[in-house]
Amino acid sequence: METTDLNLFVRTSEETISDWDRSKIADALIRETLIDRDTADQISLEAEQMIRKSGVKVVTAPLIRELVNAKLIEKGLEGARKMHTRLGMPVYDVDSLILHPNKENANVPHGPEATNLTLAERIKKEYALLCVFSQDVADAHMNGDIHLHDLGFIDRPYCSGQSLEYIKRFGLDLPHSLSMAKPAKHPEVLLAHLIKFAAALQSNFAGAIGWDAINIFFAPYIEGMSDDEVKQFAQMLIFEFSQQAVARGGQAIFSDINVYWEVPKHFETVPAIGPGGQFTGKTYGEYEKEGQRFAWKLFEVYKEGDGAGRPFFFPKPIVHITEKFFKTQGHMDFLYHISDVAADKGNTYYVFDRGETAKISECCRLSFKLDESDLRDAREPWRMRYCALQNVSLNLPRMAYMSKKDDTKLFNLITERFVLATKAHKEKRAFLEKLLAHGEDGPLALLTMKRDGMPYLRFDRASHLIGMVGLNEMVQIHTGEEMHESKKALKFGLKVMAHMKLLSDKMQRQEGFRLVLEQTPAESTSYRFARLDMRYFSPASGRAVKGDIASGEIYYTNSTHLNVKYPMNPIERVTSEGIFHPLIEAGSISHVWLGESQPYKEALADFVIKTFRNTTNDQIAFSPEFTTCNTCHQTGRGLLDTCSYCGSANVDGITRITGYFTKVSSWNKGKRGELTDRHRVGGYFADQKKAANE
Amino acid sequence: MLSETHKFPIKGFIETSFLDWRGELSSVIFFGGCNFRCPFCHNSDLVLQPDQLDDVYLEYIILVLRKYKQWVNRVVVTGGEPTIHFGLFNTLGYLKREGMKVKLDTNGSSPSVLRGLVHDGLVDYIAMDVKGPLGRYSEWCGIDVDRNTIEESIRFIMESGIDYEFRMTMVPDFHKEADVYEVAEYLRSAERFYLQEFKPRKCLDPSFLNIKPFSAETFERINRNVNQIRTTGSKPDERVIKFRERKSRVKEGG
Repeated sequence: METTDLNLFVRTSEETISDWDRSKIADALIRETLIDRDTADQISLEAEQMIRKSGVKVVTAPLIRELVNAKLIEKGLEGARKMHTRLGMPVYDVDSLILHPNKENANVPHGPEATNLTLAERIKKEYALLCVFSQDVADAHMNGDIHLHDLGFIDRPYCSGQSLEYIKRFGLDLPHSLSMAKPAKHPEVLLAHLIKFAAALQSNFAGAIGWDAINIFFAPYIEGMSDDEVKQFAQMLIFEFSQQAVARGGQAIFSDINVYWEVPKHFETVPAIGPGGQFTGKTYGEYEKEGQRFAWKLFEVYKEGDGAGRPFFFPKPIVHITEKFFKTQGHMDFLYHISDVAADKGNTYYVFDRGETAKISECCRLSFKLDESDLRDAREPWRMRYCALQNVSLNLPRMAYMSKKDDTKLFNLITERFVLATKAHKEKRAFLEKLLAHGEDGPLALLTMKRDGMPYLRFDRASHLIGMVGLNEMVQIHTGEEMHESKKALKFGLKVMAHMKLLSDKMQRQEGFRLVLEQTPAESTSYRFARLDMRYFSPASGRAVKGDIASGEIYYTNSTHLNVKYPMNPIERVTSEGIFHPLIEAGSISHVWLGESQPYKEALADFVIKTFRNTTNDQIAFSPEFTTCNTCHQTGRGLLDTCSYCGSANVDGITRITGYFTKVSSWNKGKRGELTDRHRVGGYFADQKKAANE
Repeated sequence: MLSETHKFPIKGFIETSFLDWRGELSSVIFFGGCNFRCPFCHNSDLVLQPDQLDDVYLEYIILVLRKYKQWVNRVVVTGGEPTIHFGLFNTLGYLKREGMKVKLDTNGSSPSVLRGLVHDGLVDYIAMDVKGPLGRYSEWCGIDVDRNTIEESIRFIMESGIDYEFRMTMVPDFHKEADVYEVAEYLRSAERFYLQEFKPRKCLDPSFLNIKPFSAETFERINRNVNQIRTTGSKPDERVIKFRERKSRVKEGG
């Protein structure tokens, strides 16, 4: 039979309607897979017959492709089918995606831009699982043994940390941009460059964009400004960052700004860059007062909050507490000032850099001690840019279900999964290397620009993160006790983490790239793991998952944290959780949930100093809760169903999800279960009641 | 001796608090039972049915205090009303022996107990609630109270030589703004006087749950007036007060 006999039209993917042409099927098979011409012809013939029999007049290209795929399976050509398959989404899914908000990432609002982002993410995610990762890695992700973060952003590295110095020295000169800007002469212009550069970086990274010592590096531009002008400038900076939700996918730039009251030792004698990209002839050490003035004003702005008195969601201010901090004049006033913000709005993150060794904060709170080559970098701070390529998390509770209380099995499983996660990193690394190899003509042009002689992304220095979810539940399943219940249980948790730390050191030596442990924020991962384990490991999982099983609001405790529900003294929490922090190089934090209560700033400051002196905790944050009214636009303390000022039910709850503030209504079910459970300090009788009701 | 403390009605214990001692980390001990019945009280279980609450043993409290000594060396003793319990002296004695600084929260109904505590060196700080203008005290605290007793406590605290504060919780509609200014004026010579915001949660009189709290601006305005009274002695014009008061309540839909 001749193809021309078939009076059939095809709606192609190029938005045209073509006449039926069977040879196109065969051509596609030859082009995309490794099968031979005869088999391809045979398959195209069979597919044609099938379509003919069905009697349809117009077929779509995707339908033909799937029919051909069915034929490939019939013939046992599984490999060819994978190469020939199509990525996409069912109509039903697209429909509900356009209509309903995405709950996987609470930082994405709902709108056409966000829908675009999600659609693209879905396809890239499928692509990643099919084409970037090997079958065993992809399967492990699909069944929830491990979680590969940000698969929808497979063609970008994970996160990036840098300083202002790069744009101060080289201006805003991005590959393929329509105009090139020379180094800024005025502070406002530098700020504009910063925001645009941050947005450009957001388009090239999946996650957080961090800025080191921002108040120090702005200092030379601030000289000569009046206090009011500095305040105005601080306000511009914070509003610009926090309102960048007009950028990618309607998603605010996940941005951190690192703030120092003192000039960190490693920048003290570094020549400062000022207006026009010129060295000012002074060192950063000489700009201490200006840096402090800016830091102070930034926190004044945080204290006021946005136009409705709500806390700013971004940028997150991270204040470094070092030994030098305590030797720097005015540090107590500043500590009270930032603790006032912590008590009132919750923004402040306190990072503890103990000891005299120089440390630097990378992206995602990854900090590391500076070695000699880093200290050379610090002399030319525009060279200091760091990134993590990917983040992979391990489902710890699952290993405990599987090892059935056998220590050897458990530790063996941890090792196996760790090796698998490392393999995932190798595969992503190879994929990115391929993209970067195209240089300034390739998809990651920005990351390959060489304004200072080396590519912006310093690939050889990139980190690879391995996170963990549910250490507490793993210990609970394995030993019968949660980590807060006995010293023995806590010790066992520590043993697990020590094993993982050892593995990361070993694998790093073996593979030759930086591999570090991270406390996964696990905004959606802890929910996903809990849900999958409920499916595969019931009834054991029903006894371990936290939250409310009946309503499906279930979760595993984040990373190495202790049970969030247990009414634990905050001292005990920062101390016990802090014992894990020295083992985890990237992003450790303890949360103190404040709820409705409004503590004294001096009490928080005292607590912060004692945490620095008495524990090994790396970072703490205090999280208050707010209810903001959409009717009367007042913001009050506590999470309430109705506005206490006007009684309206049109309210939004706001508090910290994991690493940032956001509206509670955007949270996924797992996190909402966690929110119900969170123990807030200061509510003694409320706790008693809760306990009595259980 | 310590075992006798079992009889002491300690009904609650917060190991670490950020908000019960102005500017300091502290632990908090709650005594059950109270001789007042303030309708806006937010610890009603502690006041009305202390027997329903579990006892917390002083032995346990002391062990915890020892454990966290590096962090916290202050204890707030509150209630209920601690001064109605004879065992208070004994309890504070144990706390002082642990090297703790002690703050006592009181309603000022027992000046003689206050006198005894200060004389024995058992308290370092007294925070006394002043419920409203002294002339109509029974209106505020729900029982008959002799204003002389309250006045005696206030006078004694101010002359005692130890640190102290007076504070007043202002309940919208229940207190008029003028009431606050009257108390502020009465306590002008006191070292510290703080106005506290009322929150409609867990009130002793459930009808108080329907009261809408002040907006931040209104509360700030009242606080400014209080500070003006304390620094200059000049009260805002009464007609202006009434006008502003009406206006802000209308605006807030009260």
